[in-house]
Amino acid sequence: MKKIVAMILAGGRVNELGVLTLYRPKSAVPFGGIYRVIDFPLSNLMHSGISKIGILSQYRSTSLINHIGVGEAWDFVGRNRGASILPPFKGEMDADWYLGTADAVYQNLNFIYDHNPDLVLILSGDHIYKMDYQPLIKYHLDQQADLTAVFKRVPAGEASRFGLARFAEENDFGGPLKAYDEKPAKVTSQWASLTIYLFNTRVLIEVLKENHEHAQSFHIGKDIIPAMINRYRVFGYKFYGYWGYTQTIDEYYQTNMDILDKPSEFPLRNWEVRTNLCHRDIRDRMPAKITPTAKVTHSLIYNGCTIAGEVHHSLLFPGVKVEPGAVIRDSIVMFDTVIQKGARVSQGIIGSDVLIREQVTIGDDSSEPYETSDLISSNSGISVVGERTQLPPSLSIGKSCTIYPFLTENRFSNSHIRSGMIIQ
Amino acid sequence: MRKTIALLLAGGVGSRLNVLAQVRAKPAVTFGGNYRIIDFTLSNIANSGIENVGILTQYKPYSLMKHIGTGAAWDFIGRSRRAKILPPKTGLKDNDWYRGTADAVAQNFDFINRFKCERVLILSGDHIYYMNYLDLVDFHKAHKTQLTIATRVVSPEMAPEFGIAQVDENYKIIHWEEKPRVPRSNLASMGIYLFNTDFLRECLQQAEGHDFGKNVIPWVLEQREAYAFPFDAYWQDVGTIKAYWDANMDLINPNSGLNLEHWKIRTNPIEEEMKRDRIPTYLASRARVSNSIISQDCQIFGEVVNSIISPGVIISEGARVIDSVVMHDTFIGENTTLRKTIVDKNSYIGDNCFIGYGNASTPNKRYPKHINSGITVIGKAARIKPNIKISRNCLVFYGVDFKCFQQHEYEAGSTIYSETAEIPF
Repeated sequence: MKKIVAMILAGGRVNELGVLTLYRPKSAVPFGGIYRVIDFPLSNLMHSGISKIGILSQYRSTSLINHIGVGEAWDFVGRNRGASILPPFKGEMDADWYLGTADAVYQNLNFIYDHNPDLVLILSGDHIYKMDYQPLIKYHLDQQADLTAVFKRVPAGEASRFGLARFAEENDFGGPLKAYDEKPAKVTSQWASLTIYLFNTRVLIEVLKENHEHAQSFHIGKDIIPAMINRYRVFGYKFYGYWGYTQTIDEYYQTNMDILDKPSEFPLRNWEVRTNLCHRDIRDRMPAKITPTAKVTHSLIYNGCTIAGEVHHSLLFPGVKVEPGAVIRDSIVMFDTVIQKGARVSQGIIGSDVLIREQVTIGDDSSEPYETSDLISSNSGISVVGERTQLPPSLSIGKSCTIYPFLTENRFSNSHIRSGMIIQ
Repeated sequence: MRKTIALLLAGGVGSRLNVLAQVRAKPAVTFGGNYRIIDFTLSNIANSGIENVGILTQYKPYSLMKHIGTGAAWDFIGRSRRAKILPPKTGLKDNDWYRGTADAVAQNFDFINRFKCERVLILSGDHIYYMNYLDLVDFHKAHKTQLTIATRVVSPEMAPEFGIAQVDENYKIIHWEEKPRVPRSNLASMGIYLFNTDFLRECLQQAEGHDFGKNVIPWVLEQREAYAFPFDAYWQDVGTIKAYWDANMDLINPNSGLNLEHWKIRTNPIEEEMKRDRIPTYLASRARVSNSIISQDCQIFGEVVNSIISPGVIISEGARVIDSVVMHDTFIGENTTLRKTIVDKNSYIGDNCFIGYGNASTPNKRYPKHINSGITVIGKAARIKPNIKISRNCLVFYGVDFKCFQQHEYEAGSTIYSETAEIPF
């Protein structure tokens, strides 16, 4: 049995998720009714029997640190197990923040030296998928590879957003790579990188040092892999399961809704995901209370919810209260948000601890035109309300609006917020 | 609250709960979806700031021990905070099982001695209530007494079930009778005793007999004095099938006074044997849920009215669950109806069944004293064949399988029993 450690790149903020990631890294964003995004790779590691994990965090990591705790939720506790948060530190130069994924790993090489593994598995903390890493490890060893990266076939139209693999030869499992193109303008292949990298430790250290000393740019996808091809044994391993992205508001929304709408592709129940039930006191919540006036259909709810209104095709996190006459449709509502009497929310992503006062409407189907642009958070009409914001009674909010966190009722001077507006 | 420690007597057999308490100790019986009865007392202890509790077990302690775990769920964790399970142990004689509540405490006095505490709070783990025990301690101190018994007014017809106190205007107990046939008052003991530690030691050494209610308290009243702390909020002894069902239904009655959210009742929902955490509950497009408590990890395709549903329950399309309590991971088949039924964990009820049909009031023929209020009870891991009709006051034993059903219809008061079923875990 080869000795292996995993490193999860969990620090990124990613602008596209906007207000959801103002106060936490992307990997700590709530997902799927009780989870955080990072629960998915962590649970995969647990079920794959990999229990030495370094989590690289950089951006506002309090929420992530709270969530991981001592790693007990994933059984990472014991003399030979552990989930360590590796925070950035000041180097000899004062501004040594991570300059890219390769740099982040480079700056934490000590973690690897400490454990002295044969293999290092590098994952990112922001994808929704179920994978047993053991067959990948076996493939890597069988091929005597130095690096095996994981790829999934995507539609040609979407491929240019990803790192793309060109196989020198391939079978159902994968094959050696002849080229790797990071987000090319012109699509060169439909095999998109899932940013799962399995390295031989010796080679990883070698290429990171070389990159650190000679390069101007420090990313595993963009810099390290292309430079390794032809010099090392670089393989691609094919993945065929469900893969959910959470990069943009629209993707985040869609991946959540896939739990409801695509249960055969995304069977959450069978995925054996664990989360930290102590975080936000999930474990202490009483079961959901559904009153005689409530109507709940095609939705996910959890303990701590009190529902007296209507909820359709939505995900409610623990502690959400829906008062009589309120209607929630096609929405994601996070922890402990209150939706008061007569309020209507359609196609909303509502952060935690938000107060939606009576008769507020969000995303109402007015025929109001609005232009899609790079500035707005969603091109499919989804409005986002940041955590702890309070929306005053009867406020109407259009589609694709972005409302910042921590706003109080008196911040809203108009009774209507046009579609596409950003309020901060 | 370092000066007070709690001892929780959790060994209760709970025979009147019948099959529900034949597979586990009564304090470990599921309540309110994802709680167990003992959670109320444990949460009360924690919420009162008492930092050390010894839990005395005896009867079928496995579920209970697993549930309490490290005690972390109630925050009994840290260098000077703990919840310790105190299993019975053999004494000098070979067969020293507890002969009563007082004997159980006496046999664990070494645990009490270890704390050098001033007071010992003795509790039982089988009531649904919220109490801040600090109020009791304050009362105890204000009356400069050695023993305070928490009491509550009960209905006259319930009074013969309890220890009954008569008090003077200062709540000093002037008369006491354990389970009197003709009660002199309706002030009932809640089974909560606060003793000064030295006095408790003296009582246990000198009083004859092994039971607090029957022996120790009468001895105290002869030799010294005791006070009754009056408690008047929600309190339910869930010792019978009827009381257990009533207390569950109180959760969905806004006027009952039972409010778990305000009370901060905690449980330990982490099931070690599960590889995954329980996921959110799914309510399907045709689900109809009204006035009910629904726990996590359920899949509801049918109808649920006035019911309490535990984690992991599947209610299939066309199924109707009315006025019922359904425990963990039970499956209810298509077009099956449940009325006024309690279903224990891991049961399977096939398609097109009707449980709890009719209006007959015949008590259960086998257990007329346990099952007589119209409620039908299905034991743990029972498997009910499709197309079976079972009327009211019926009992289906734990572990019953398809082959145990010789008929299609079981009239009121029937019992379906399996000679071969082992107690399921």
